Amino acid sequence: MSGETSARAVNSAAPATRTVQVVRFFARFTREQRWEHWLLFGSFTVLFLTGIVQKYRNEPWSQNILSTPERLELVQNIHHIAAIVLTLEVIYHLARGIYLLARRKMPHAIFPDWQDVKDAGRMSKYLLFLTKKTPKYGKYNFEQKLTYWFLFFSIGLMVITGFIIWFPIQVTSVLPGSIVPAAKLTHSTEAIVAGVFVLIWHLFHVVFDRLNLSMFTGRLNEDDMRKYHAAEFERLTGEPADTPDQGGQA
Amino acid sequence: MRRLPWAFSIVILLGVMLIVPYALAAPQPIGFAAPDRISQQQQTEAVSDETCLACHSNPALEKKLYNGESWSLYVNPEDHANSVHGEEELDCVQCHTDFDQKHNENPVQFPGFNAVDRRDASLKLVKVCQQCHTEQHENALDSVHGRALETGNVNAAICTDCHGSHTVQRLNDPATGQLTQEARLWIPQTCAKCHSTIHAQYTDSVHGAALTDGNPDVPTCIDCHGVHNIGDPTTAEFRLKSPEMCAKCHTDPAIMDKYGISTQVLNTYVADFHGSTVTLFEKQSPDAETNKPVCYDCHGVHDIAAADDPQKGLLVKENILKRCQVCHPTATENFSDAWLSHYIPSPDKYPLVYYVNVFYAIFIPGVLIPMAILVALDVSSVARRKLRAKKNQPRPPAAEPADAKPTGKESSHD
Repeated sequence: MSGETSARAVNSAAPATRTVQVVRFFARFTREQRWEHWLLFGSFTVLFLTGIVQKYRNEPWSQNILSTPERLELVQNIHHIAAIVLTLEVIYHLARGIYLLARRKMPHAIFPDWQDVKDAGRMSKYLLFLTKKTPKYGKYNFEQKLTYWFLFFSIGLMVITGFIIWFPIQVTSVLPGSIVPAAKLTHSTEAIVAGVFVLIWHLFHVVFDRLNLSMFTGRLNEDDMRKYHAAEFERLTGEPADTPDQGGQA
Repeated sequence: MRRLPWAFSIVILLGVMLIVPYALAAPQPIGFAAPDRISQQQQTEAVSDETCLACHSNPALEKKLYNGESWSLYVNPEDHANSVHGEEELDCVQCHTDFDQKHNENPVQFPGFNAVDRRDASLKLVKVCQQCHTEQHENALDSVHGRALETGNVNAAICTDCHGSHTVQRLNDPATGQLTQEARLWIPQTCAKCHSTIHAQYTDSVHGAALTDGNPDVPTCIDCHGVHNIGDPTTAEFRLKSPEMCAKCHTDPAIMDKYGISTQVLNTYVADFHGSTVTLFEKQSPDAETNKPVCYDCHGVHDIAAADDPQKGLLVKENILKRCQVCHPTATENFSDAWLSHYIPSPDKYPLVYYVNVFYAIFIPGVLIPMAILVALDVSSVARRKLRAKKNQPRPPAAEPADAKPTGKESSHD
């Protein structure tokens, strides 16, 4: 993001007479959170790919991949290894959440509140050209919260149902048998819901709508903060976000 | 000495004249040439059934074989008359083409065949069948029996072991070309001559018991194993193909509706854990060994019981659990319900699975449609604001600061 800003400065600047431009950055994700995202990204991709091959095993394209018992076993083993990686990540994530809650250090920014409903309403108005102003978002806007919580519950469901169909004998020694086919159906259907959600909703918002690499760099520049997280910018700096003078530009 | 070559050539000429007719006739002595009408007629004229029966209707007529066993040469004229061949008025020599006038004149010097023992005699004589029944013969060559015979098992079944020799019966109804119900009853009895243990299981099975009661729909041995081209049922290929074999009848409503049996058994099997894998391998690697169960692993091979059989049926929980435990030895009571038992989930059967399905039927469009609308709105909003920004470009930027920037990144929506 900083590259983009400096390029703009060079284009519009009259050489030699410009003052030095200072770009402020705002921390957004910690190193641990970015690591978690990488683990999630890797395991989710592997699980999704090896999963749909197994789900659509009545289709010719899948049958060409799973053509022998050895290949089927290989695909299942890869799926199981990725599942363990994802499970460990989920356990870490939950454990950290519980730790932060216990110490009363859990940041409230990610939890949905009434403001999100109002923001969603105002954003819809903006998208329908009923207003020219976009809502002032906090650290996470309602779309980002939706992405987090949708995947939180999706992945939770996938992990639970995945282990049920992985260990049906152990599960049915405690729970009724029909839990297994129900888990299989849920696992197989929820996978498509989660996959489509990531591909359409998440990828659209972080790549096509605007390229937002803050999950990899860990930070956002002042421009983006003012524009997309105005409330958070105001809270952090005490300055008004909607000044026309953004980063020294007219 | 000058005359000698001349005399010598006469001798050679005479020799050639004597040998050539025999040499030309040489391919014949095996005597199992294909029967064309002319030769049959010639033989019929030459050797009538009466001629044969003059000796062969004597019950005491027998032949000593090389190993000292005696081989009865007696033919009961009634047997032949009542057989399908008798009905079609075939004469002895139309099958036994190697017994000719010479045998007729001197049966001891020209016995027609010689054999080490009784089985050897049967194996030699059975070759007459293929003269007419070529297709069946060729099928049988590829069968388990044919291959066993080829590898030296002389006890492997040959034509006459199943069909009999002079007593051979008509099996198909000439009008329909289908097996008569009477013939269907003979089949298990015929196979039982060697496979008696399996026959005992079959007669107690739901299929075998119904057959004896005259049911025309149940399979006999050949409906699963084939007739002359009986394959090896112990191969991986047979195993992977077997669901299709059962499905031939069990997906046919014309047969199943009479008994109130579901025709969804194949669909539901293919849709579940075991069946989907078996179907996949059947298509992709038909000779792959798989430990996934096929129909007969749960329902039984020859001792198939009706699912609702109060003693042996799979609807009895202990019975199905026992089947599960063959592969899943540590499985406990609830485990067998993990298999949908060929049911399609409904509010009555497997309600949990049914309602999960209902939930997703609502949830998927409920999530994806609003999501798609929001994304579409977002795209159109960006595009239209971009367009408007282009129009507004010449105007002073102070008029509309929020919309005036031509960066194309107007949406504040992350």
